[in-house]
Amino acid sequence: MPPAGIWIDGLVQSCIYMTMAFGMVLVFSILGILNWTHGQFYMLGAFVVYYAVTAAGVPFPLSLLISGVIVGALGMVVEKLVIERLTGPGYGLLAVTAATMALIFFFEGAAGMAFGLMAKGMATTLPGVLDMGSFSISYQKIAVIIFTLVIMVAMYIVLNRTKVGKAIRATAQQPDAASLYGVNVGWVSLIVMGIGCSLAAMAGGIMGPVQSVDPFMGRIPMIMSLLAIVIGGLGSLTGAIVGGIILGLLNSVIAYKISYFSEVALFLLVIVILLIRPQGLFGAAPK
Amino acid sequence: MLELKNVWIRYGKNVAVRKLTLTVNKGDFVTILGANGAGKSSTLNAISGLVKIKRGEIHFKGQKINGLKPGAIAARGIIQIPEGRKLFPLMSVMENLEMGAYLCKDTKRVRDSLEKVLTLFPVLKEKLGGKARELSGGQQQMLAIARGLMAIPELLMFDEPSLGLSPLLRQQLAEKIKEVSREGVTIVLVEQNARLGLMLATYGYVMENGQLVLQGKTSDLMQDEGVRKAYLGV
Repeated sequence: MPPAGIWIDGLVQSCIYMTMAFGMVLVFSILGILNWTHGQFYMLGAFVVYYAVTAAGVPFPLSLLISGVIVGALGMVVEKLVIERLTGPGYGLLAVTAATMALIFFFEGAAGMAFGLMAKGMATTLPGVLDMGSFSISYQKIAVIIFTLVIMVAMYIVLNRTKVGKAIRATAQQPDAASLYGVNVGWVSLIVMGIGCSLAAMAGGIMGPVQSVDPFMGRIPMIMSLLAIVIGGLGSLTGAIVGGIILGLLNSVIAYKISYFSEVALFLLVIVILLIRPQGLFGAAPK
Repeated sequence: MLELKNVWIRYGKNVAVRKLTLTVNKGDFVTILGANGAGKSSTLNAISGLVKIKRGEIHFKGQKINGLKPGAIAARGIIQIPEGRKLFPLMSVMENLEMGAYLCKDTKRVRDSLEKVLTLFPVLKEKLGGKARELSGGQQQMLAIARGLMAIPELLMFDEPSLGLSPLLRQQLAEKIKEVSREGVTIVLVEQNARLGLMLATYGYVMENGQLVLQGKTSDLMQDEGVRKAYLGV
């Protein structure tokens, strides 16, 4: 059995993958596309928090919210200027896929020019550890876990209790009927892109003090959340959450057991899961 | 109330509807008959704004509505109950009904129409918390109509409501549609089951290959030799 610290590190990673995967699936369920540049919104969110805290002296929790708002708005701009123009009649999936992939390098390049390529360390915003006897957890990591719980509960309430949320679910399940009853599908697309990117940004922001901040930090979380989505079943929000938890924990535990070989083992495991359930754990069985 | 003037609908090179002109007056019960692919559903979708028309104009209560978004058309009181029901399968029955009233901001009005709708469809009352996809086929069709009524429509358009229902359920459905019509809602009913359409409606249009070939009172159409042969099988 790996020590508790390994599980906690895994859980912290789970939180990030879960939040990222949730946003990607939400966008996919409405727009029908994978936003390949999701990881760069994570990175930009971390930079917003970094500069808000270190340069402007904004309190950490407030700077998280600010990064969610700014990067969420940026996601809406991307939806309006890029994604909306490349979807719809006459366009295949390839155009919008290529465009969002190109944005990966655009955002990374832009961040590199603006903020420099060197990794920036951020002082711990929540110093101290919680002593649990045989092991201890830093408050910073506890913050990540609590933050994720709050986000997930908030998302549950928004999707199930509010009119906007019901419009989002209705559009995901039956877009034609939703528009017949007055839901503006273009507007819903904009909203979910804003929510998805805002979640990614806040996930990046909360990890700022745990890791370091650099223009390429979005790549690994992006790949991992993609894997989480594939394991959980593309299109299922529950799947994104469970996939994220499984992946974060496994990644940490496997790395502890066999270090360098860990990614190989992880991908092997994903392949095995997909061999047994090609639609993912929570995906609908193909008709 | 509803007027289609010289309407053309095209999907790429295929013409789905050509030169269609038809009128529906307030309080009417109109049916559009025709074989599969005659252009009936395309016509309804064009009225609802889901499909763009290539030529012609659609007017509702004297105002041009072609070119408006589906939501804007729904807001004017034209509600379609689409073919295959198109319920929100993973949402509860109650949420499906709420979505029907999505555009209505007056909560008291929503509550009133909910009460009215549940009186008309008592079977839904016991299922409000259950998911739409857990309902039987007949109940799903009832929910589709109930959701449509929640929008408080002035013009209600049915696309193949009897599809996939047993004769008994079809009979129940017909009763419900009649009741809705008696409430004063103007109805356009598209049916492949010509017998059902002619039995319920007072005026009928017959479409073939995207064109209007015949129209008249349903009592006259039922006597028409061509209609009897082609659609009633007698």
